[in-house]
Amino acid sequence: MQRRDVVKVLSTGLAVSALDALAPDHLWAAARTVHDRLRRTPQDRLMVLSDHQNAMVTALAELIIPETDTPGATAAQVNRFVDVMLAEWFEDDEREEFLRGLVALDARGVNTFGAPFLALGEAQQIVLLRGMDAEVTALRDARLPTGDHFFSRMKWLTLYGYYTSEVGATEELQQVIVPGRYDPCAPVRRGGSGVWE
Amino acid sequence: MRQASYDAIVVGSGITGGWAAKELTEAGLNTLVLEAGRSIDPATDYAEHEPSWSFRFRGIGDRKSLAERQTVQRTCYACDEAAAKFFVDDIDNPYSTPDDKPFLWIRGRQVGGRSIMWARQSYRWSDLDFGANARDGHGVDWPIRYADLEPWYDDVERFAGISGEALGMDQLPDSQFLPPMPLNCGEEFVKDGVMRRFGRQRVVTIGRTAILTVAHNGRAACHYCGPCHRGCITRSYFSSLNATLPAAEATGRMTLRPNSVVAEVLYDSTNDRARGVRVIDAVTNEDMEFEARVVFLCASALESTRVLLNSRPDRFPTGLGNSSGELGHNLMDHTMRSGAGGRIPGLEDRDAYGSRPNGLYIPRFRNVWDEHPDFVRGYGFQGGAGRPSWNRGANMPGFGADFKTALREPGPWQINFGGFGECLPRHSNYVEIDPEKKDRWGVPVLRIHCEWSDNEHAMRRDMAVTAAEMLEAAGVQDVSPYTQPSPPGLTIHEMGTARMGRDPNTSVLNGFNQSHDVPNLFVTDGASMASSACQNPSLTYMALTARACAYAVEQLNQREL
Repeated sequence: MQRRDVVKVLSTGLAVSALDALAPDHLWAAARTVHDRLRRTPQDRLMVLSDHQNAMVTALAELIIPETDTPGATAAQVNRFVDVMLAEWFEDDEREEFLRGLVALDARGVNTFGAPFLALGEAQQIVLLRGMDAEVTALRDARLPTGDHFFSRMKWLTLYGYYTSEVGATEELQQVIVPGRYDPCAPVRRGGSGVWE
Repeated sequence: MRQASYDAIVVGSGITGGWAAKELTEAGLNTLVLEAGRSIDPATDYAEHEPSWSFRFRGIGDRKSLAERQTVQRTCYACDEAAAKFFVDDIDNPYSTPDDKPFLWIRGRQVGGRSIMWARQSYRWSDLDFGANARDGHGVDWPIRYADLEPWYDDVERFAGISGEALGMDQLPDSQFLPPMPLNCGEEFVKDGVMRRFGRQRVVTIGRTAILTVAHNGRAACHYCGPCHRGCITRSYFSSLNATLPAAEATGRMTLRPNSVVAEVLYDSTNDRARGVRVIDAVTNEDMEFEARVVFLCASALESTRVLLNSRPDRFPTGLGNSSGELGHNLMDHTMRSGAGGRIPGLEDRDAYGSRPNGLYIPRFRNVWDEHPDFVRGYGFQGGAGRPSWNRGANMPGFGADFKTALREPGPWQINFGGFGECLPRHSNYVEIDPEKKDRWGVPVLRIHCEWSDNEHAMRRDMAVTAAEMLEAAGVQDVSPYTQPSPPGLTIHEMGTARMGRDPNTSVLNGFNQSHDVPNLFVTDGASMASSACQNPSLTYMALTARACAYAVEQLNQREL
């Protein structure tokens, strides 16, 4: 069955059982064709982050999820996702708090190693991140809220932005949209259940 | 403006409206189906296969838009970035509550109604449920028993397709099942442990769900993609849009009119019959009237009652068909968010593959064989086991390459049992017409008064205890019982407000969902329920609707209406 035929079947709403004969990737291809594109036009210009802030966010995200045998946060454009979230999802005070966190990180670099964050070597940057990560862990261990801590927010944005990106979902986690079957007790695999969650 | 006349008018196109449309048109009636919301085109409106990166906020939702326009709807788990369009705009569709009695009314206004986003769990009720009011004196006796509904359950199940496991339990009769989905190995582990300790008293089974596990009636089997609430282009789960409306359409006798806000049922005092309905066109605001020999209200429990409360001919100054004074009263919902969770040891090398849109179920075991000292009625558990994915990383220490590698594989097995408890019918839980507020179309809105009683609170405490004892008996570790706030409405099983009963002095509808006062007026959605049981109610609404339609057709043919 050609994709054209599949689309015809789907759009008439008849004889849907014909889909039973389709392999999952054919179903997926058909669905891609018939579903609306919700994707908006990507904007080239950043809305919130200055060049300096963008460079810091890019560096932080890559330290959290670096390139390994698969691409890292930079390749997944996590910085652009952070910019969208700061511009359109966070409240004004949350955004300002996040941006102040970047300033504070530079100050931390100056106080600890005598230079702002981006001027430090990777080893020194990692020392600063470990310090912030330990602060978040201490809050969690004390059962205090962690959500407002700069590094907690940056880490969440990085993980969320990375694993829901095309790179993160398809290359790192090797997930598919239409598994086509349910195996209740499969050998453990990369990316867990195999489905975007 | 007066419009053409029909044999039947069906108000609403969701679970029950779809069934009424199918049954009435197949019986030969020219039927007008009025839907307040827009029409839905599955090819362009369904979004279950859209990848996360195609959404601006990657699926988490447009937080500011939700905060502005959908402050109530966003509390529902299914109101995500792809499916928010299937939930109403709370500014256009207001309602009110007293400040100290929050009620979360989750609504969908479009062709298909909430059957697009429903959770699809489908369970028969039993005589334990239909006999409950008579047994303990809460509410009024149901005018029907299981035997009245059993053949109609059979019929609707054969058409809709319900997958599940037959258990032969009196308190939860088996359906006409398609093959069950499997429990995963984490759930099997817990099932075995619960069985060792509790035998046949507490049984873990796979959820019974209106999702096809094999091709059925021209619809394809589930392909386990997961987010059913965004639609299903293969029509693998039951919705009116996927199943009953196409069947009604195929008869050539259905006229489906979207954007038709029904403001009131029109009453003819010369023959004590409903004459038709008054409609406001949602797009043009034009006022219209449609006439029919019989009117079915299938607009959802509270919307159907709202229509009746807003219909006030001289003979019924407090609402059409309200000679009993019970219209609007005895509102119920299931109480939830109480149970227990924990970590399943072992099985490190195993995981489920695919997204099974279903969980486990534990049928009611309280007040079945014995009497609990603290509460009447009972509850069931729904839940499931699984391994958390990358999103656990936000709460884990670390970052960098090793951290990334660790998140590649799933976390430890977790399991949760969450209770769904029966709510007693109480006169003091009620809806009325708000004296001032109107919706975007000028229709007066509801003021909802609802709160849990001591019986539900006692039940919630017991849910946490029994869930924890089952998990511990099964060897689950780090078991943590919980009872979290569960505002009425959020379970989206709102029922009652136009209850069925034997006595016209204490009930609104008779045993065929027919108004005691207005013989050609039927209400077959959740409004008609005289008690709430603890099972998900939609399957019972389907059976009641099909049964009421057959009765109405028979009465029309005998010229009794």
